[in-house]
Amino acid sequence: MKLDPAFIWTAFVQLLSAVPTTLAITGVSVLCGFVIGTATALFRLYRIPVLAQLSAGYVTVIRGTPMLTHLLLIYFGLPVVVDGLSAELGLGWNSAKIPMIAFAYLSFSITAGAYLSEVVRSGLQAVDRGQIEAAWSIGMTTPQALRRIVFPQALAASLPNLSGSVIGLLHGSTLAFTVSVVDLNAKAQIVASTNWKFFEAYLAAALIFWGLTILIERITALIERKIHVYRKGGVA
Amino acid sequence: MIQLTGIRKTFGKQEVLKGIDLQVAKGEVVAILGPSGSGKTTLLRCINYLEKPGVGEIRIGDFVFDARRPGKKEIHALRQRSAMVFQQYNLFAHKTALENVIEGLTVVKKICKEEAQRRGTELLEKVGLGSKLNAYPSQLSGGQQQRVGIARALAMEPEVLLLDEPTSALDPELVGEVLAVIRKIAREGITMIIVTHEMGFAQDVASHVVFMDGGVVVEEGAPSELFTRPKEERTKQFLKRITPELSYSI
Repeated sequence: MKLDPAFIWTAFVQLLSAVPTTLAITGVSVLCGFVIGTATALFRLYRIPVLAQLSAGYVTVIRGTPMLTHLLLIYFGLPVVVDGLSAELGLGWNSAKIPMIAFAYLSFSITAGAYLSEVVRSGLQAVDRGQIEAAWSIGMTTPQALRRIVFPQALAASLPNLSGSVIGLLHGSTLAFTVSVVDLNAKAQIVASTNWKFFEAYLAAALIFWGLTILIERITALIERKIHVYRKGGVA
Repeated sequence: MIQLTGIRKTFGKQEVLKGIDLQVAKGEVVAILGPSGSGKTTLLRCINYLEKPGVGEIRIGDFVFDARRPGKKEIHALRQRSAMVFQQYNLFAHKTALENVIEGLTVVKKICKEEAQRRGTELLEKVGLGSKLNAYPSQLSGGQQQRVGIARALAMEPEVLLLDEPTSALDPELVGEVLAVIRKIAREGITMIIVTHEMGFAQDVASHVVFMDGGVVVEEGAPSELFTRPKEERTKQFLKRITPELSYSI
């Protein structure tokens, strides 16, 4: 086998068309996962009966099983549920009409929610209780205190973990190719097999993933620098 | 006027407040003294519902609060009538001195930002921090942080200002500046309840002194009375240990 350096660039250019799909899967799963994660973390921290136990169960089950398994379970399970409901209630739905990417959105959001739940929980626990007491003492309601005082500080505290999770989900989004979503990785496979140049195509894909990861790292660093203005501490 | 009636509080099986009655007239400065574990901080925190009293009634002005199963609205209403100065300052870490002071004005009192900033600046100047408006808490000394804490509490124009050992966490050399500020606002006629270990300060500033021990009020009275002629044996012991230079023997 001979390396064709020129084809790396050719593949690189062709792969760019799949970047929006990869970013969409990552973005949707991070955003939905963050909402799920925040809700479940709050249920657990405030020990809300039933919901707290359900949240803890959700986190351990989802973190205890691989991301690929979630995708396959959703892919094969959801149509059964949708068609069954449709037949039962006469809704006229058809599971075949669900776009493939929707399976990826749903399943990765569930995956992300479990991991981000722990990230958010550690962030919230890092905020001193005195902060919310001070907010209460000047007459704020609990939602106001959480939104204006606790969450911004929790977010700052969880930033390194959060950035790690986002990178993990970006890379995990490659699993979407198993349900025929043409993400970066799937596109690389297509480009590779039509030209019979696998190494070059996957190398190009690797470069793009690395580039996207650097972007996430840069954004994190930028926010961290802003936070550093008020935050002192740590060992450095 | 503030009136506490039959305030009880238990942590698990331990009863920390065993039915406290306390009256504070408008403009009065009440100092609560007592050994650690006597329940004085818990009592203060009950007034702001940072601790949940199990039983009792809290009356601030014309607002009556029944501690038995209060709703969210009642708790919120109670908290808006007082403001707390904390031992550990508890300034909002991600906000500057000025932002700390105006947070309650804009969010709770819904005052427009310009007006809030004007008032906030005024208050920070009053506590001697006119030059530190844009400093973050991490850039301020303990004494400066506590003075911001006092300004933040004053901004809410509470009917009663609660101070929980406001100088206990400070370096000795910084205690003076904070006490000076408290003394200044006391003279302006703001109703205050202050838990303190600064006996000299209590004697000097308070118009009424309450001595607590074991979850009950052991003795209360004017500072001139309580400090020089305490009636209860427990008070005598405490004062003797805290201020050994005061001797009651002839």
